[in-house]
Amino acid sequence: MIKSVINHRIIKEAVRIRKVEEKFLELFSQGKLNGTVHTCVGQEFSAIAFAGQLKKKDFIFSNHRCHGHYLAFTGDTRGLLAELLGKASGTSGGIGSSQHLCNGNFFSNGIQGGIVPVAAGYALANKLKGNGAIGIVFIGDGTLGEGALYETMNIISKWGIPLMIVCENNFYAQSTPQQVNLAGDITARAEAFGIETFEGNTWDPESLMKQAGEAIEYVRTETRPCFFLVETYRLNAHSKGDDDRDPADVARFREKDFLHIFARESADYHQIYEEAINLEIDELVAEIEKEAELPMEKYFETVQHVTGNDWTALEPVNKRQVELINHFFRDILQSDEQVVFLGEDILSPYGGAFKVAKELSFLRPGRVFSTPISEAAITGVSNGLALNGFKPFAEIMFGDFMTLAFDQIVNHASKFHHMFNKKVNCPVVIRTPMGGRRGYGPTHSQTLDKFLVGIDNVKTVALNTLMDPALIYRSVYAERHPVLVIENKTDYGKKILQQPMNSFVCERNDDAFPVIRIRPPVSEPTLTVVAYGGMADIVSGILEDIFRHTDLIPELIVPSLISCLPIDLIAASAAKTGRLAVVEEGTAFSGIGSEVVSAVMEMTDARIKVKRISAYPVPIPSVRSLENIVLPGRDRIIQELKESFS
Amino acid sequence: MALLQEIKVPLLAVNDTSLTVVEIAFPGGHRVKTGDPVLVFETSKTTYDALAETDGYIQYLCETGKDYEVNYIAARIFSEPDEAGQTTVPGLLPIVEAGEPAARANRADWTGETLFSLEAGLLIDSSGIGRSIFKGKDFVTRRDVEMATGSYHPVPSRHTDSPRSAPTAPIRPARQASTLPDPAKTIVERLSRNKKKEIEYLGEVQSGGLTSTINVTVETEDIFVHINQSLKYLKDSLLPVILYETGRLLRKYRVLNSYFSGDAIAFYKEVNIGFAIDLEDKGLKVLKIAHTDSKTIAAIEEEILSLSNRYLDELLGIGDLSDISFTVTDLSSQGVSFFRPLVNTMNSAILGVSSIDEKLQRMILSLTFDHRVTEGKTVAAFLSDLKGRLESYRPDGTTVPVEDVSCFRCLKTLQEDLAGTGFVKCITPHGKDGYICQACLKGF
Ligand SMILES: Cc1ncc(C[n+]2csc(CCOP(=O)(O)OP(=O)(O)O)c2C)c(N)n1
Repeated sequence: MIKSVINHRIIKEAVRIRKVEEKFLELFSQGKLNGTVHTCVGQEFSAIAFAGQLKKKDFIFSNHRCHGHYLAFTGDTRGLLAELLGKASGTSGGIGSSQHLCNGNFFSNGIQGGIVPVAAGYALANKLKGNGAIGIVFIGDGTLGEGALYETMNIISKWGIPLMIVCENNFYAQSTPQQVNLAGDITARAEAFGIETFEGNTWDPESLMKQAGEAIEYVRTETRPCFFLVETYRLNAHSKGDDDRDPADVARFREKDFLHIFARESADYHQIYEEAINLEIDELVAEIEKEAELPMEKYFETVQHVTGNDWTALEPVNKRQVELINHFFRDILQSDEQVVFLGEDILSPYGGAFKVAKELSFLRPGRVFSTPISEAAITGVSNGLALNGFKPFAEIMFGDFMTLAFDQIVNHASKFHHMFNKKVNCPVVIRTPMGGRRGYGPTHSQTLDKFLVGIDNVKTVALNTLMDPALIYRSVYAERHPVLVIENKTDYGKKILQQPMNSFVCERNDDAFPVIRIRPPVSEPTLTVVAYGGMADIVSGILEDIFRHTDLIPELIVPSLISCLPIDLIAASAAKTGRLAVVEEGTAFSGIGSEVVSAVMEMTDARIKVKRISAYPVPIPSVRSLENIVLPGRDRIIQELKESFS
Repeated sequence: MALLQEIKVPLLAVNDTSLTVVEIAFPGGHRVKTGDPVLVFETSKTTYDALAETDGYIQYLCETGKDYEVNYIAARIFSEPDEAGQTTVPGLLPIVEAGEPAARANRADWTGETLFSLEAGLLIDSSGIGRSIFKGKDFVTRRDVEMATGSYHPVPSRHTDSPRSAPTAPIRPARQASTLPDPAKTIVERLSRNKKKEIEYLGEVQSGGLTSTINVTVETEDIFVHINQSLKYLKDSLLPVILYETGRLLRKYRVLNSYFSGDAIAFYKEVNIGFAIDLEDKGLKVLKIAHTDSKTIAAIEEEILSLSNRYLDELLGIGDLSDISFTVTDLSSQGVSFFRPLVNTMNSAILGVSSIDEKLQRMILSLTFDHRVTEGKTVAAFLSDLKGRLESYRPDGTTVPVEDVSCFRCLKTLQEDLAGTGFVKCITPHGKDGYICQACLKGF
């Protein structure tokens, strides 16, 4: 007997979610859906209680099981149906499908836990804007295993970020019952971070509505996070046919299911609602099925990159690189409200491990965030800030730690723009000092550049000591998509273009991310060398030695955008010289040099002898004598050039 | 203390707005005397020696192998040695490759330090030349020193400095020329690169001394009445028809489609006739009509045109010039009554086409051949076949039918044929050109 007085609007809403989900299963079995669906049959009231009670200005981040959340928040049945049917009119143009929805302030992504710091960043942006908006991020109980969640709980509590984490506890993670993987207590996890917790369940929708309303009110008025644990049960398989649960168990929960009881006890109402909704859905599906899919040219078109060929002489700057970077940030933090600077240990007077952030927190305390040691969360929060109108610059203290931020770069920042069919941009900037020669040893010296290029829609930029880094940073600042900036630990302390290069002409082109060329003033070069980042400093300093020892007149090409190399320029030079060497501080296998060489070979028919000079494939030793051998230095570069080209 | 002479790039021909410096006679700063050739320029046709008109010290503002615009000051002669060492304001800029920054144009204008590679340094020390001769250069490599000391011999290596260009032999003036010209009595114009190539090209077969030429007269009365109908552009020219008929005949006379190689004869598998062309200062070239023996007259005509256009536009590819198995040189438009053509390298014969004698209504075909490969009898047979085929284009039946025309099916010759309607040219079931008599064609 239904004791609750829950209104029929809400029941109709729940029926609609269920019918849409059942339609998806039907369409799937007819082979009309590409990919997969995770339905929330049995969990609908969670969606309605939380997503349905938010204001329009609020936001939602959801996970793989997001259809109910989407419908409750946006009411956009058509956009959802079209999305899963792969149509251009779908909410993500058919690119995202079931797990990757975006509509207004609604976002979902299929990486367990990854959206939590992004949601925190989005909420932080609202807080910085002072617009009173709050947000909810949905996770399943299985996601309690993800570290990013705890990094974020720590941050949202510490920073007072108005974000509600709703944990939909359906007692299973895919096929695995909770007791197999989950230790300890769920709400105690949040409590340990000082986060207010709430609990409820979907079998009593009326209470759940009330509790959810209270929790939302709490987050909004207190500008504090909360954690809401909602017990529920999914009545269908994890996705399609993958259900190993005891059928008796499922049947027991089906008996408990509110809509089930409603169908039995108010059969006539249920029938009216169900029929009307089914009719509406069927009509929509019939209509959508006739629609077109997104044409490829609207999704992606290859752009031929042409390197600029107007050259300007480079000028020395009598300032250290780190000072110039620091000045750039001082300028933009003071002139642009949207700029946020985040990182570990960046508060002044310390000002970051390499002092790039010196005095920034004094200048602009409200926009400079010293973070816990949480690379995934720093990057995720930055992604969220970027999605919500800010220009975040996140510092990862050492390049080696980029691995901990990798998921946020590859599965979030990189993908948002395209998987949400270009509805959003994520202009996040992640900066990090890379490289060795400081004796920091294996985990603080490696050059990981090759792992950081070739990420779709992400530009990777490497500074050098041959030109003012502010010039490059201005282009980074203007970018509308993610940028990774690789700085170099040993370059920080160097002044710009200070090495004597009297026998060469140093110039840069006018590309947004300039290419530098150091060439003989009169003679035609007979050797093309490509180096970037920290290696550019070293190679530019030994060009005369290279000439003396090899009898070859070198031309050095230094790209700053290493995710899109000036292959046309390099190929033209190498076609003339017949010799191409790429010097990099990372290891050669599948590295930047490999990319340069193969792309050059694709572009020209010229016979070119090639050489990659790189680090040896071992962790960088701390002891100086060995570090100097493992990393390519002056003597080894000259030696290898000699061996390869004479 | 004075600048005595400026040597500018001369204007030698209207087409040559830039010249190549092919030789720098002295090291920079060297003493020169009046009349000394100090620089050698090359045009598309010839070379030109720039002479010192005064005694003094030479300063070069150019490099060998590079092109410079007319009027560019390529060298100067000063009265004092140290003046020649200094580089002063450059004259007009030398030519730079398109897209290159102007800065690079200051070729010989480097005032900075000259860097020597270790190898260059060692070579300088061992050869005893002074480093100062390299003044004005930014980098001096081993090769630069070798060039300066005359010991540079490029080794054909897999990785040349300019990998795109086909390796070319160093241009060495033919110094072996026995009698040195007397400058008092002659004006010496050096041979151009093209001319030297030509000599090399023709020298090979002719130098054997065993070539001979046979001529034959072809009756040409009314010959164009029919031929012009099948020609679109080259009306009143026999060249397309000659190429066509020669192509087919060469299948029979394989030995004329071959060349002498030491103690063997190399027979070409394909018939690729080349025709010689020499227009508008573009130099004498032989252009290839590939598979001449399988092309129609119209196709041959088209190809003559397109090749000639590419020749004039300097767009010929290596494929247009190589693997030529036989050559035709047509001087008929030049009013020559007859001439003796020279056999090209890797050919055994060449056919010369003289002008039609309008009065006598005839022309002379001359075939020069390599006696080491063939002999007069064969050539005479070839020429008579060719003559017959050409004359068969004349409209009336006055020409003597050629013995060789026989029906491929019944083997009846044209002479034996009684129908009086002639044979039909056809492609045999084996893909060969042939003739078929009316009887075999239509059936009895
Ligand atoms: C980082 C990551 N690891 C694994 C998966 C594969 N996966 C998708 S859903 C899922 C189970 C998630 O369980 P839970 O969080 O309890 O959500 P539920 O499916 O129960 O709603 C898994 C393992 C994933 N999408 N992302």
